[in-house]
Amino acid sequence: MTATVPTATDPQPADATATGQLLPVRHLPGSRRPAGPDGTDGTGAGTGGGPGSSPSAPARPVVRFRSSRPDLLLCGVLLLVIVLVQGWNLTAFPALSDDEGTYLAQAWAVQQGEGLAHYTYWYDHPPLGWIQIAGLTWLPSLFVPDGMTVAPMRFSMLAVSAAGSVLIYVLARRLWLPRWAAGLAMGLFGLSPLSVVLQREIFLDNLAVVWMLLAFCLAASPSRHLWHHFASGLAAATAVLTKETMLVVLPALLVTMWRHSHRDTRKFAVTGAVTACALIGLSYPLYALLNNELLPGAGHVSLIDGITYQMSRPGSGFILDPGSGSNGVLRSWLYYDTVLPLGGLAGAVLLLAAHRWSVTARALAGPALAAVLLAVVAMRPSGYLPAMYVIQALPFLALVLAAAAAAVAHAVLRRHRGPGERRALVYARWALAGVLAASAAAYVLPRWYEGDRTALTADANGPYRQAAAWLGREVPDPANTRVLVDDALWLDAVHSGFAPGPGAIWFYKADLDPAVGKTLPRGWRDIDYVVSSPTVRRDAVDLPTVKAALEHSTAVAVFGTGEDRIEIRRTDRESGS
Amino acid sequence: MFTSVVISAISVALFWIAALTLWWQMHAWRTPETLASTRFDRPDGGDRLAFSLLLPARHEQAVLEHTIARLLESGHTDYEIIVIVGHDDPETAAVADRAAAGAPGRVRVVVDHNEAKNKPKALNTALPHCRGDIVGVFDAEDQVHPQLLSHVDHAFRATGADVVQGGVQLINFHSSWYSLRNCLEYFFWFRSRLHLHAEKGFIPLGGNTVFVRTEVLREAGGWDQNCLAEDCDLGVRLSSAGKKVVVAYDCDMVTREETPGSLMSLLKQRTRWNQGFLQVYRKKDWQRLPGRGQRWLARYTLMTPFMQAASGVIIPVNFAVAVFLDVPVGVAIITFLPLITAMVTFVFEIVGLHDFGRQYGLRVRFVHYLKLVVGGPFYQVMLAGAAIRAVWREQRGRNEWELTSHTGAHLETAPSGAAPSGAPIREDAHR
Repeated sequence: MTATVPTATDPQPADATATGQLLPVRHLPGSRRPAGPDGTDGTGAGTGGGPGSSPSAPARPVVRFRSSRPDLLLCGVLLLVIVLVQGWNLTAFPALSDDEGTYLAQAWAVQQGEGLAHYTYWYDHPPLGWIQIAGLTWLPSLFVPDGMTVAPMRFSMLAVSAAGSVLIYVLARRLWLPRWAAGLAMGLFGLSPLSVVLQREIFLDNLAVVWMLLAFCLAASPSRHLWHHFASGLAAATAVLTKETMLVVLPALLVTMWRHSHRDTRKFAVTGAVTACALIGLSYPLYALLNNELLPGAGHVSLIDGITYQMSRPGSGFILDPGSGSNGVLRSWLYYDTVLPLGGLAGAVLLLAAHRWSVTARALAGPALAAVLLAVVAMRPSGYLPAMYVIQALPFLALVLAAAAAAVAHAVLRRHRGPGERRALVYARWALAGVLAASAAAYVLPRWYEGDRTALTADANGPYRQAAAWLGREVPDPANTRVLVDDALWLDAVHSGFAPGPGAIWFYKADLDPAVGKTLPRGWRDIDYVVSSPTVRRDAVDLPTVKAALEHSTAVAVFGTGEDRIEIRRTDRESGS
Repeated sequence: MFTSVVISAISVALFWIAALTLWWQMHAWRTPETLASTRFDRPDGGDRLAFSLLLPARHEQAVLEHTIARLLESGHTDYEIIVIVGHDDPETAAVADRAAAGAPGRVRVVVDHNEAKNKPKALNTALPHCRGDIVGVFDAEDQVHPQLLSHVDHAFRATGADVVQGGVQLINFHSSWYSLRNCLEYFFWFRSRLHLHAEKGFIPLGGNTVFVRTEVLREAGGWDQNCLAEDCDLGVRLSSAGKKVVVAYDCDMVTREETPGSLMSLLKQRTRWNQGFLQVYRKKDWQRLPGRGQRWLARYTLMTPFMQAASGVIIPVNFAVAVFLDVPVGVAIITFLPLITAMVTFVFEIVGLHDFGRQYGLRVRFVHYLKLVVGGPFYQVMLAGAAIRAVWREQRGRNEWELTSHTGAHLETAPSGAAPSGAPIREDAHR
């Protein structure tokens, strides 16, 4: 791992000096002064072989991140805090979600060697995401096979967000932010209540974000190495194959690479990266092709069908239209945190607007563009906005917010500062900076404290735990019992002895998967139990078999109250009509 | 199961071979600093070293005069040109004698009386006649830049090198589909790969625009006249003896050359090089290289043509097996690995062609990119053919010299986009 010490040299020195800087980040502590007017450090760039160096390829001062003690210390301390905050109480809050159950169950199927899913894999998402989850949870599931359920396996996400946090710090440094701003970015990313809630969950987006951050780090490689850029393309493709929505961010990655590569080698670097990304990305359609599942056809699933389904999902309305589904999702994000989504977006727009004058803005053009692109896509009135969509924006929002803070700090402390500035003015500058910092902290900290406190203390999963325990304890012959459960409880049921697939059934498969339907010739009468969770009740409207099972059943156990309650209902097979 | 394992193993091996080759081929563009270090330093103006420039010529009266005239334009103050002609080649000798009479003291003629003739024998014949501190080698069809000697002079003094290898570039990319690929091969080799070799301390030298300190060359006993790749052999021997080799590529300063006039003569040239590589491999001088890494690099580099030949055959077979036999999808995907490296190589070649056009001010059109891609597999077949032919000839003990003929295609100054038709195309001379 390496990181540049911020220097006075722009990636494209010519235009930096020509246009002047409004918000430059220069002369930071620890930066080495460049020796030559042309940007060379005067040590020569020869790597042997050639007769000597030429001045046209400036060697930028580079320090090794791993040997920079203050960076390691700051990053290490922040990492510890983030892991503590995210890890504490993570099995109990937030509520287990259906998606987590889906991905973990498919990861379990991968571990069991059953292929990409325990039902027919139908190209809903590229499978690389849960293959990675399978890898992450493989070792713990070896030792505690019964622990392969959503709540305990959330701990694997701790490693993912730890990696993401460190990458944020490295990236911030590579984009020439001062140390404190890099720390700020890392803190914003890891400690915002919104992040804490979402990063605890087993979502593909969380994994994809790490790969995309790695791609950005490599694109901004201080050594501007061809193969780093190539690897950046590979990492970006991995991110897209982990969660396809990452495609939106690719232009921003390209901008970052363009800005941080050198004129003389850019041609090779950028085409190399694009090629790497495209070739790895094509492996997905290739996989489908080799399975004879690329094009739609009778009797088999296909990639095109999967894409068509995703594209034709009913839109959730315009995000700013009160009452629309998208607006509800937005409000749920803002309920946890307003600072990171709104402040970050404002920072991104500011940086893009200041692109012409500011070194910081140019260095951060990629992340700022990523944030804006993601926002624009979320604004599509016809689009479907899933709740976890914001996850992929979080790192970019954190980066641009920190960069905006650095730019403001620079403007306050150094702008128009002459060599003999009066002492009073210097004090005034520092006082203003202090007031700004204090008011920002006064605004943010109480809100974050409240949000994080909830995450650290609330228990949202009691009913789920009790329901899972009941299933394992009270059902006499699970191996020959058929139960409809939501995805979050499915693995619990499997570990309790229900047969995965035909015994423990993802409730919607009873209606949507012909293969499962065949095992239920008498419809709801072939089902013994329904675990009625909020998700099941919500979706049952469109699922006749599930609906009938709910209607022809009586609750034998109820956990929790109100909307969030979980009922275990036994079907009235004998008396039902 | 067995098929799957075999196919996977072969695919992974081919993938690594191709990836490693690609990695080395792209050496110069790894970082901006590496690229900058491949250029010549600007000379300081003081010409201190004396040069003896060897110019072996055989049935090359068509291009020789131009080459000498061009060499005489050199801005350096202290050099001599020694033209080496065969005793049985009066036409070329006449051109050489005329040039010597025109520039007394600057141009001399040495006659090679060996019965069987080849380039290393010619060079060895001239070596005792060299008066300069540095011996430089050119080919009869070379277009040498007037400032080259001053740059080389400076490079020797600035780096303390024993050998300076300058750049050689085939220019007539528009002549034919294979010349396009041939030019690009040179571009990647001199622009990039050779620098890696210099850095690692194992370098097969190029055949011309190579400069060696006279005493180093005499100490080494000159060129191996039984070797078909005497330049490679010299490089290997000097590397093994720990001599410092420096490579410099400057698009203004490269020696411009032409591709062989026909596909057949290209095939013969390649056969000769490959046979030469085999001979150098078998001479085992490379085993005296001090580093294990260097020895591996040597082994690998000298074997490259044969691996190329093998992969040219194996890749399609492997691919067909994967597609038509019933193997698991995972295994089928693995068989695509070599194809991925091939694609990446293609893309870098396209970018390289663009860069080549830019650096040499040549107009590269869309059709050239198309030819580059479409011609790729066919060129691969030609290379594989040359490698197989080399092994076959070496087995049969046929190691006489097949000369590459030259027509002067690169002397066309205006890149007209069409192959020059005025120059006679001759077959290689067989002796």
